Amino acid sequence: MLTLRTINRILKVVKTNQRCEQSFHRWLAPTLRELKRRKDALGPEKPVHRKTYIEWNYDTELYAFSKRLGEEFNNNLLQQALTERSYIVSEEEKQKSVGIDQPLLDLADNSKLVTKGSNFIDDIVNRYLHTVLPRLPEEGIIEIQKYLTSTETLSHISFHIGTSELILCADFPVEKLTLANVLKSITAALVESSGNGRATAFVRDFILTQIADKDLHQFWKPEEPIKLLSDILARDNVQSPEPRLIGCSGKNTLLACFRVGLYTPHNKQMIGLGFGETVDIAHEMAARDGLRQLFGLSDTILLPFNIELENLCASNTKNLSVNEWSQMKLSPQSKHLEFYQTKIISSN
Amino acid sequence: MSELGRVKQWNTFARCWHLFDATWQNPLECAPTIEKYLKGFHKPIYHPFVDCGDHVVVMNSKQIAFPGEEWRRRVYFHHTGYSRGASWTPAWILHDRDPTMIFKKAVYHHMKGNLFRRVVMERLHIFSDSNVPEEIMENITNQIRPLRPRPKPLESYSKKEIEEFPKIIDYPNDYVLSKN
Repeated sequence: MLTLRTINRILKVVKTNQRCEQSFHRWLAPTLRELKRRKDALGPEKPVHRKTYIEWNYDTELYAFSKRLGEEFNNNLLQQALTERSYIVSEEEKQKSVGIDQPLLDLADNSKLVTKGSNFIDDIVNRYLHTVLPRLPEEGIIEIQKYLTSTETLSHISFHIGTSELILCADFPVEKLTLANVLKSITAALVESSGNGRATAFVRDFILTQIADKDLHQFWKPEEPIKLLSDILARDNVQSPEPRLIGCSGKNTLLACFRVGLYTPHNKQMIGLGFGETVDIAHEMAARDGLRQLFGLSDTILLPFNIELENLCASNTKNLSVNEWSQMKLSPQSKHLEFYQTKIISSN
Repeated sequence: MSELGRVKQWNTFARCWHLFDATWQNPLECAPTIEKYLKGFHKPIYHPFVDCGDHVVVMNSKQIAFPGEEWRRRVYFHHTGYSRGASWTPAWILHDRDPTMIFKKAVYHHMKGNLFRRVVMERLHIFSDSNVPEEIMENITNQIRPLRPRPKPLESYSKKEIEEFPKIIDYPNDYVLSKN
């Protein structure tokens, strides 16, 4: 007589033989592989604009964009600021191809706003730099301004505040020049919608802060710093500084490091400190350091980005040029502003 | 990287050279101090993956001192790898053969065994006497303070100084103080 357990075992074997059940699907991996192969054969996917998606609502996006920036825009102006000439042309062509002879488009392009915004940004950047760096020669100011208003910087800002999908233009992905132009036109639209004050704050918050984490010395490098430093000191009736080797380590090795200090001959004060792999490099770096001290561009400078915007200097202010720079010629106003800066920094 | 950033980094990671006089110093005690400089523990930029150690030049390694019976009792083991290739050498014999070996082994064995150990050891330069090559001496910018005061032997005092030293008792005339 068979026991109950044996019967159960036999039944189990019979069942599995009948159904041939497996724990996985044998068709799955080959199918996925084939799908992947076909996808690869088609090549990489082209980027698609967000507007091709079904739930795209341009008006809502525009509204959300202005709210994200925290600004009050005139809707028509904002729309105009984001419309490129190329978009209007392409839309007209589309209508013509359909058979409409005189296409009607209720759109204005942003070319006027771009010019206006560009001038506005240039002016604010110029005034801000002259206010916070009153001792830096005009050449240095120009270089920093060039960096701040370059297409590269402006397009970077424009992309990261999210204009790239809102811009109406023919090219996609949007070109850098278009992005930069749109940032300029948005600034101009802001000037017209909310006034100069808000627009200045906008430029300060988004554009000027780009130099916050940058090494300011990389923008402008005066040539022959040793000669330049002694020329400048000569204009202040100080003899040319005397270089002294104040430290060196591992002199006979590949990793030798020298430190050179520049001392004024009359009162034995150190005016610059430099280091480098050879004495000549260290000397040159010491001269550069001396120049930095004179121009108020020291390594640990903290630019006052929270400066009150009424205190920006006038547009026609010019700093001294390198060829005529001297301590005595610095205007008393610039010294006053310097004091103002330090007060602001210390109060934070 | 800007020019200033480059030289700043060069200055931060510059390797210093330290001098250590091993006269009358216990090498086992010195090892942690030497290791500190070799690996750069004393620098604020220290990190195990940052190669920021300095060079240490040890001179007069022949003059090291061991406490108590250590010269006789301390035994250095070596195995050639062949059968019956084991050998045990007392410290005093090893020191006779190579006066730099005991100091080197003391520092080497103190450090944790990893792939960096031999690289770090390359920065340790040991000389048995005070004849350090001029080329190396020119690199040196710092001296490591000796851990123990160096005792002044009786021979180094002049005859006048010995005579003038305040006496507590008068020795009898036939009392022999020293053979010299």
